[in-house]
Amino acid sequence: MAKTTRYTGQELREMFAAATAWLEKSASDIDALNVFPVPDGDCGTNMLLTMRSVVEEAYRAPDSSASAVIQAMSHGALMGARGNSGVILSQIFWGLAQGLGGKESFAASDFAWGLAQGTQAAYKALTHPVEGTILTVARETSAAAQSACAQGDDLVSILGAAVSAARDAVADTPTLLPVLREAGVVDAGGQGLYVVLDGALRYLKGEVNQMQYRKPQIVPSSLPLVSRTVKLAAEGEAPYGYCTEFVLHGRKLKPERIKKKLADRGQCLIVVGGEHMVHLHIHTFDPGSVIRYASSLGTLHEIKIQNMDDQHREFIEMSQAQAPVADIAVVAVASGEGLAEVFRSLAAAATVPGGQTMNPSTQELLQAIESVPQDKVILLPNNKNIIPTASQVTSLTQKRVKVVSTQTIPQGVSALLSFDYEADLEANISAMEEARLAVKTVEVTRAVRSTQIGGLKVNKGQAIGFVDGELITVGNSPAGVLGEILLNLDLEGKEVVTIYYADHTKRTESEAVAERIQQRYSHLEVELVYGGQPNYNYIASVE
Amino acid sequence: MVKIVTDSASDLPPQVARELGITVVPIWLHFGSESYRDNFDLSPEEFYPRLIRSRTLPTTSAPSPGEFAQVFDQLAEETDEILAIMLSSKYSATYEAALQGKEQTKKNCRVEIIDSFSAIMGLGLMCIAAAKEARAGANLEQIAAMVREAIPKIQTRMSFDTLEYLRRGGRIGRAQSLLGTILKVNPIVGIKDGETYPFGRERSRPKAIERLYNFAAGFVNIRELAVEHATTPDEAQMLIERLDAIFPKERIYISTVSPVVGTHVGPHVLAVSVLEG
Repeated sequence: MAKTTRYTGQELREMFAAATAWLEKSASDIDALNVFPVPDGDCGTNMLLTMRSVVEEAYRAPDSSASAVIQAMSHGALMGARGNSGVILSQIFWGLAQGLGGKESFAASDFAWGLAQGTQAAYKALTHPVEGTILTVARETSAAAQSACAQGDDLVSILGAAVSAARDAVADTPTLLPVLREAGVVDAGGQGLYVVLDGALRYLKGEVNQMQYRKPQIVPSSLPLVSRTVKLAAEGEAPYGYCTEFVLHGRKLKPERIKKKLADRGQCLIVVGGEHMVHLHIHTFDPGSVIRYASSLGTLHEIKIQNMDDQHREFIEMSQAQAPVADIAVVAVASGEGLAEVFRSLAAAATVPGGQTMNPSTQELLQAIESVPQDKVILLPNNKNIIPTASQVTSLTQKRVKVVSTQTIPQGVSALLSFDYEADLEANISAMEEARLAVKTVEVTRAVRSTQIGGLKVNKGQAIGFVDGELITVGNSPAGVLGEILLNLDLEGKEVVTIYYADHTKRTESEAVAERIQQRYSHLEVELVYGGQPNYNYIASVE
Repeated sequence: MVKIVTDSASDLPPQVARELGITVVPIWLHFGSESYRDNFDLSPEEFYPRLIRSRTLPTTSAPSPGEFAQVFDQLAEETDEILAIMLSSKYSATYEAALQGKEQTKKNCRVEIIDSFSAIMGLGLMCIAAAKEARAGANLEQIAAMVREAIPKIQTRMSFDTLEYLRRGGRIGRAQSLLGTILKVNPIVGIKDGETYPFGRERSRPKAIERLYNFAAGFVNIRELAVEHATTPDEAQMLIERLDAIFPKERIYISTVSPVVGTHVGPHVLAVSVLEG
């Protein structure tokens, strides 16, 4: 059996001292991540302050046994916890104290067990634990550490597993938490926890020297930054009240009871601690009543009350300062969730539902234009019938709005693809006009009535196919019409055919069409994309 | 004569570096616990197949200050003026390490260190221009001033098949806005203010290459021009043939993206860098 390495309190202390120094380098980057208006706006700084308190206390421990040091650290965390993430950190240290307490030296498995205890405690401390935050990261981390124990009882490999799990969990936070997705950032608290563990690991690996001239990196999101859905303060959001935080000293305190008592006084309630000391955090409109109640139980320390409306205002100002990459926004009209997503994934700042039979109102277009932070806006109507309304909007706003007269979805996609991040409004407009004309649009739908157009007789319910708005083919099945049109177009000099299908059954049919085209033209790239559009069974682009 | 020093993220072709007397300090590359000096211990030909096969991404790390000090001290045997032009400090700690290395030198030699705010052959072209000036007899002040003036005149565009490597390596910067398109696209990315910046998208690789051509063709006054690839020398060669229409092809540098840079951009990148006159 492999020999178990044991670690002393001194090593524990130095490990977290190094981790704190590591976090210090990243604190401002982490602060910058916290762009959505959660109170405790300074997540990185808060975690750093918490960690400093942890390390300070660690050096005040009566001796260098693992037990004495971790107890001191846990105390330091509880006393020094700042903000939500700080409080959760303090729970993790509390858990570590459970794992290491009473021991002269500790094994890596004790550490892993302690992490798990801490994570459980953190979940319990919150009235409404939210996934996609530091909590998720803590959970994934401790799970990875636990399972790494099976491979061997050494802290480098266990922390190594924990750090890599933390990194992945941080990258995934935007998939779990819509606010992060909208802001296009990973969770700041989770990032902070990752940096702390990473710092500890680097110390253990003997990288102290390299750490001096390096800096922790912000974990990139595993989710693409799609659209910055712009949420303005005025958008019916409730005011935030006061972020109220303090430490309560007393005797025979009952955290669970305090939690119950305060549950309806506000949001984001956190009550952690034990019989003698409780750390409390709540967002409330009436901090007075919370303080009154708590002071009836004992003495209050380190009271911090902040007006979150002020913080929110600062956030708004900050997010305006952090302007998007381009100073021109593109607003696109598209119906069908798939198509809207295609536009958003190409960095359209906003999409407005609408199409052939449901033209958006001037008001709807105007709202979308006003909702984006940029003062220059390019509007893509993507339908012939919407162009007039779009043109009308340009005179109704202070913003400079230009319309690219895209008549179809493929034209809109091509126009948006040609968007140049560096060019000015005029240059972009002409590039986009050029791009929209370079693409051919095929649309297939069913006739709503019998008629005769351009020499073609159409019966109600038949599938009809258009190329750039001109009726070309009539047939019985939409897929058949699509295939016939595409195969009759000269695709020799073309590169990409994209088929947007309306729903799932159309996918299998269009796969068959794609295969036929591919057989004929092997150089061609054929892409099938879910469009989810109403009316048209298929929309295809040829470019 | 002033000696020019840079790091391996300059992607300077070894032969060019040798001819112009440019010292290239290798950045470290790590596959698990194995460490390699960029281009020295691991060639692009060995590296890219391994990158494609490897399940975990290699990592990279800046040379240590000590390594820079050693290089500076060695060069001090033959010169008393050194100019080090380093990879953008926003990508790497290389610039910082060189600064610290300068403090640790034992020899009495003037060392000037410049943050290029650039990378790959953008940085490479700056070094080439600097080395040419050194050959022509310019002193340290003159060359340093020329390089600083050249920083805003360097432009680089890269065509990608995927931004996944940039994202995973954490060097994606503002080009994050190009991620996650539902349609298959070829993102066009450049370097601006020392970091990765989005420039647009093309719908196919041929269109993306066309875009690179148009980018170079848009300059009125080209002083130096470079084309580089990771694993597609034929594509690079074809692009150079086309570029001959705007700039004599024998003066266009062709280079291979080094393993360290390849770790962060992936195996299918194609890039054009221009130094304006």
